[in-house]
Amino acid sequence: MNLEAAKLVFYEESYELLAAMEAALLAVENAAGPERGEHLNAMFRAAHTIKGSAGLFGLNDIVAFTHLCESVLDKAREGELAITTPLIELLFTCRDHIGSMVDAVRCGVEAPDSGALGTQLKSYLVDSAPVVPTPAAAAMVVKQEQTGPRVEVESGGDHVVSSDHWHISLRFGVDVLRNGMDPISFIRYLASLGRIVYLTTLYDGLPNPEEMDPESCYLGFEIEFQAAPNVDKLTIENVFEFIRDDSKVRILPPHAHIAEYIRLIKDMPEGMSRLGEILVRGGALTPMELDEVLGIQRENAGAGEHRPLGTLLVEERLAPPQAVAAALDKQREHAAQKTREHRVVRVDATRLDALIDLVGELVISGAAAQLSASRSGDSALIETIASLGELVERIRDEALSLRMVPVGEIFSRFPRVVRDASRELGKDIQLELAGEETELDKSMVDKLADPLVHLVRNAIDHGIEGSDARRNLGKADYGTVWLNAYHESGSVVIEVGDDGGGMDRQRIRNRAVERGLIQADEVLNDQQVLQLVFEPGFSTAETVTNLSGRGVGMDVVKRNIEALKGNIEIDSVAGEGTIVRLRVPLTLAIIDGFRVGVGQVSFVIPLDMVLECLDLPTDRGSSQQHYLNLRGEVLPYLPLRELFEVDAPAPARQSVVVVQYGSQRAGLVVDNLEGELQAVIKPLGQLFRGVRGLAGSTILGSGAVALILDVPDLINRAAKNERRKVALIAAREARHPAMREEDRP
Amino acid sequence: MVEPVEQPQYLTFRLGTETYALEILHIKEIIEYGGLTEVPLMPRFLRGVINLRGAVVPVIDLAVRFGRPATTIGKRSCIVIVEVQYGDDWHDLGVIVDAVDEVLDLPPEAIEPAPAFGAQLRAEFIRGMGKISGRFVIVLALEHVLSIDEMAELAGSSESLHPES
Repeated sequence: MNLEAAKLVFYEESYELLAAMEAALLAVENAAGPERGEHLNAMFRAAHTIKGSAGLFGLNDIVAFTHLCESVLDKAREGELAITTPLIELLFTCRDHIGSMVDAVRCGVEAPDSGALGTQLKSYLVDSAPVVPTPAAAAMVVKQEQTGPRVEVESGGDHVVSSDHWHISLRFGVDVLRNGMDPISFIRYLASLGRIVYLTTLYDGLPNPEEMDPESCYLGFEIEFQAAPNVDKLTIENVFEFIRDDSKVRILPPHAHIAEYIRLIKDMPEGMSRLGEILVRGGALTPMELDEVLGIQRENAGAGEHRPLGTLLVEERLAPPQAVAAALDKQREHAAQKTREHRVVRVDATRLDALIDLVGELVISGAAAQLSASRSGDSALIETIASLGELVERIRDEALSLRMVPVGEIFSRFPRVVRDASRELGKDIQLELAGEETELDKSMVDKLADPLVHLVRNAIDHGIEGSDARRNLGKADYGTVWLNAYHESGSVVIEVGDDGGGMDRQRIRNRAVERGLIQADEVLNDQQVLQLVFEPGFSTAETVTNLSGRGVGMDVVKRNIEALKGNIEIDSVAGEGTIVRLRVPLTLAIIDGFRVGVGQVSFVIPLDMVLECLDLPTDRGSSQQHYLNLRGEVLPYLPLRELFEVDAPAPARQSVVVVQYGSQRAGLVVDNLEGELQAVIKPLGQLFRGVRGLAGSTILGSGAVALILDVPDLINRAAKNERRKVALIAAREARHPAMREEDRP
Repeated sequence: MVEPVEQPQYLTFRLGTETYALEILHIKEIIEYGGLTEVPLMPRFLRGVINLRGAVVPVIDLAVRFGRPATTIGKRSCIVIVEVQYGDDWHDLGVIVDAVDEVLDLPPEAIEPAPAFGAQLRAEFIRGMGKISGRFVIVLALEHVLSIDEMAELAGSSESLHPES
């Protein structure tokens, strides 16, 4: 993997972690007590990982800044820093700042200045620092000095406070003297490594004088030891190497060292999963101590009780509890990392696209093979090809599902959007999310995010009333905005709803007339009036706020959705709220289609939209009226022959394909029904960008190209045209009442 | 070592009774005419689309684009696949011609500037007049002849799903 590719992974990972940080921040804001701790931990881990990865690429700005964030977070999770609103606010800003720093690296521009934010963060670090450093606070101090030489940490001199001494407990074995060892020589040797500050001799072990064996050693010592620089736990332990086997030696490091251990443990590379290993690597435990405690653990296990290593280490006073806690954290982090690795494989999107293209080719060749097989009449071949076809279909579905992501990926950003918007506008807003697991194409997800953000902000800004107004209307003080996603006949529907004031039709109309978008006397149905808000340059907001109301946006939203072959519906009840419904196709790549023929031309209708097929009744009365009776319901129909100006004469028997899109149903009149197929959607290209009623093309098994119908567009267009036509005729009738429609030129 | 001088090569082809030349750099391949699918409601110069090894490629009737009667398909009819740049991408387009003649070298000095009138063709379509054994052929300016923007606009405006308009 080259550096650029690795960097891409870094960006991706950073965005994910930033998203996690944001989620955790929001949770901290709303949680209390122990839950908070967990979220703070999550945030800390995210910051820590970003820092580590940024360090790999030498992105020192990011390292320095995230380090500050991390320090503040660490202090917060240790409970030394009260979680206040300003702090949360600051952390939000910091998160965004890290995001923009990553963006800056990605785009190769200069990173934004982090000076001011850094100072703010530092003030949190300094303000509440206690005079006597507690272990965790000491950790903070050490961490701040991380960039400096490490010796600083250990150089104590005479200025250190008393807790900065090693504490050594010695319990000599009974046979030490008999083995030719003199306890005092060890203590003397120890003194050569530093200064023995204080020594207590313990003689509790002495038996009654008459029982005392002069050749046995009964003494113990508690030593406060001031180590020389560069003396670590292992060196001290080596002093007692010869008596380790039958004596008890406990070496407790000074607090500053504990902090150092914690730092070392935290900065360790990923990949270690065993607690003891982590502690030994961090220097908090020596390999011999580890062996010893593992021995104890085995004994215990033999006695039928299992005790975790961490507990034993603390009980046996082999390792400081803080260091064990840090190591346990590390272990958990590792475990989390490991499960993530198992769940997710990162694949370059272009490779995925290439795969899907190939599957598309496979589907086309498969159809061709099926065609030749059925022509050959060889039943064995037909059977083989059919089972091959089934496999191809499954491969297609699997390949397409690789691109599917849950819509929750977009939804997860909304708590923040809503929070920020409600702060800014001083409205109390509650966000409800539903249907996060609904899946849609990854490329779609990226393009839906911005329109949705716009719609949500719009709902908060214009939809939800102020809390006074709400109270007067007898509504809850807080407004509710919700996002909901679900599948519906081959489309994904995403709703943005609010329980606000609803849309004022009269105001929309007036505004549209004012802006010259419609004539004052134009007859529009309800949906059409509502749709006016999507016209370019339309904005009814009486006050222009920072968020919306600048007259840009809604039309952009509509354009973006239409570019995805989707559409927008609005449902609005005055006083009760508004629902904006976005409907986009499930995927842009391969669909199940239903093939129909008109004259020589083949058309493909997305199968999800097809409800049923029937014969076009011959006794349908007036040819002017395009509707028929479908089991008692009125079904309008569109003759594709007329619509697409196909020259060939109509056959005696025509069929109707009943299609449904959203709440609308219609029939499409075709010459013949040619059956189902898998259609790989091929865009028609720039040259056909103005074409209407066609969603693209596909290649049939025979190698010929068939056109895919854009059913929603056909239905909407037909409805629009008919209204125009009727209005036109009505207007003409008003002028020339005698003229009949048939006589029109 | 002397770099070989880049000698531009041209493909000559026939449309009706006229001969045109196109710089060979634009040309990807020449295929037999066939397998065309008409796209309804398109202007006449947009004959339809073909399947070129899995890609859907639009096919243009140059004769119509030049204001002549539509090409009738004969035994020697071909589709010349050319590459046209649009934005940052290259698009494949097919052009129906009555017959392709030959590939020949035309040094820059053998190309005369376009006449002010007389070619019965929009002036910007003509890059110049190539002199081939005493005859002139029109060397086409592909970027104008197959301007995607202009053609897409024509295609968009000719759609008539509004029977009344």
